[in-house]
Amino acid sequence: MSDTSTVNTENTFKDQEQKMAISARNINVVYATPTGDIPAVRNVDIDLPKGSITGIIGESGSGKSTLIMAIMNAVTKPGKITSGSVLLNGENDMLKLSSEKQRKIRGKEIGFVFQAAQNSLNPLRRIGQQILDLGRAHEVNDLRKLINYAKKLLIRLGLDADRVLASYQHELSGGMRQRVGIMFSLVLNANIVFLDESTTALDMLSQASVLEIIRELQREKNLTIAFVSHDIGVIADLSERIEIFYAGEIVEEGKTSEVLACPKHPYTKGLIKAIPKISGDIDAAEPLKGSSPDYRTFKQKGCLFYDRCPIRTDSCRDSRPELNITNRDHKVACFRVGANDRD
Amino acid sequence: MIEIKNLQKFFQIKAKFSNHKTVHAVRNVNLTIPSGGALCLIGESGCGKTTIGRMLCGMENPSSGSIIIDGQDISKLKRGARAKLLQKVQLIHQDPYQALNPTHTIEQMMKATLKKMAKQKKKDADWIRQRMDELLKLVGLDPETILFKYPHMLSGGQRQRVIIARALTVEPEMLIADEVVSMIDVSLRLGILKLLRYLRERHNISILFITHDIASARYLGNDTELYVVYKGMVIERGRTELVIRRPQHPYTQALLSAMPILKGIEKPGKDRFVITSQFRQSEEEPHGCLFADRCPFKQSICDEKRPELIHSDDAYHACFFPKVRQVAAESI
Repeated sequence: MSDTSTVNTENTFKDQEQKMAISARNINVVYATPTGDIPAVRNVDIDLPKGSITGIIGESGSGKSTLIMAIMNAVTKPGKITSGSVLLNGENDMLKLSSEKQRKIRGKEIGFVFQAAQNSLNPLRRIGQQILDLGRAHEVNDLRKLINYAKKLLIRLGLDADRVLASYQHELSGGMRQRVGIMFSLVLNANIVFLDESTTALDMLSQASVLEIIRELQREKNLTIAFVSHDIGVIADLSERIEIFYAGEIVEEGKTSEVLACPKHPYTKGLIKAIPKISGDIDAAEPLKGSSPDYRTFKQKGCLFYDRCPIRTDSCRDSRPELNITNRDHKVACFRVGANDRD
Repeated sequence: MIEIKNLQKFFQIKAKFSNHKTVHAVRNVNLTIPSGGALCLIGESGCGKTTIGRMLCGMENPSSGSIIIDGQDISKLKRGARAKLLQKVQLIHQDPYQALNPTHTIEQMMKATLKKMAKQKKKDADWIRQRMDELLKLVGLDPETILFKYPHMLSGGQRQRVIIARALTVEPEMLIADEVVSMIDVSLRLGILKLLRYLRERHNISILFITHDIASARYLGNDTELYVVYKGMVIERGRTELVIRRPQHPYTQALLSAMPILKGIEKPGKDRFVITSQFRQSEEEPHGCLFADRCPFKQSICDEKRPELIHSDDAYHACFFPKVRQVAAESI
């Protein structure tokens, strides 16, 4: 059981389509503002192989949450999906289904854990009641069975199930709420789970145990997980594949260990350098220059990373590099990668 | 120089339908920070590290013990003298989104404190303007583009820099940095840490760094001491690098094990273990070791007696069965 995930990742590139839980193509999302549309996600292709964990890294405001919302076709105004297709298990296109069908898929097939679990739980209803609400909304016949399954999951997540079901959200700690969020995403047997900054508000020990639980559940149920975070450490620890997201575009993707060991894009390099590490020379850590992408960055004509790039050339300002394969499935969007390889 | 001796803090919790509860938030903490030095406090949320910081800057009164700043015990001073002394210790809060007044521009905010300083020093308005520019430049902000802005127009990292600049207006000798980077994007954290390091090296401002992230403590205080706090008690202390490489207390080891491993760059330490049980403020004061209920290596004596902080192997630890375990990740 434990090996399925790795095997799946390797098969991925042999027989594509069926192996993908989600296969999104050419996704574009714009936010309408008084000064014109801002492209928040641009021409993104992303595949989530069945039974694997994919990490999506991006700074705040880079559009990573918007991407996840677009995959579920849940972008709210003023955002708008302008093009693209999202194939679920190789068949249904999320972006073309009727809204009732979409609603059923969200929850039953795709689970979602929000960034701030405390804001996603109803403060006026006990957790148990909210599970029943969820069951009714998805026409579950045997609600008792649903509650029992929720209890089982909660125990699996290391919580006192009876107490949690009888509590309101304010009676739970941050770590517990996050776990309750994970329970909600799994209780209808979803096998694709999106986790949006799920460990960001937690401290070290609860973060480690939540990660451990995610990893165990993933193996047990062969889940497909997309984990979105700005913390490269967490993603490096958890995921098998990694997508580096910058200002609405993927700038580098590949196997986690490969991308971390030999990052190609200057942004990835900078990110890895910019985290204080527990091993190696601590003084080698170097902050990333500039500030996070803002609306001006999104409107740039050339390479989005131009302002902050240490190895930019004039041509980078005028045209934008595309995501190219450098080595097996390791892809990079940078004009300077060839030149940069030598150092 | 700042010295803390036998510092204790109890909180009375008023419960409506049951007896009042007492939480022992800080237990017999001793520490010394030389001027221009630094010290890192590590621990989970709820372990009392913030309370230590708050007492140090006078926002909370200790239940017992003393805080000595430059040879003067702050509890023995009169109000005015105390306030003046405490001006030397400035606190930087965790949450840069709540520490700034949303209705004031950065200029108004900086000016408010600088006016007081100008009065004390008998300087004029030019001095205020000069000083404002100087401080904002020092923290890496461009005064021209930032002075007219309101806090909501700034990013988390910029806000934290503004807060640091504001703390510097009163010319402190010490900054208490309480989880200053935990709300900031990982990619921008190092910038703030580097700034603190710079302030310490160039401006001789000592720093008490409170965090749950050992890696950032390692960056800021690689030449200083690390104190690991659990339920208000220091359970291990030593040189930062030594504690990371040769941790003796199981709690320190649990914290180090909890650091994410960067696949492809690092490999996990061979003795790594993950604790899944959660931190709980116990109802009754335990007799034994405070960590016993979560410790994977506990033995029967741990429930009966509480270990004291003892010196061994160039470091201090409070454990009956100390054993060095290699839990920290290593570079490949």
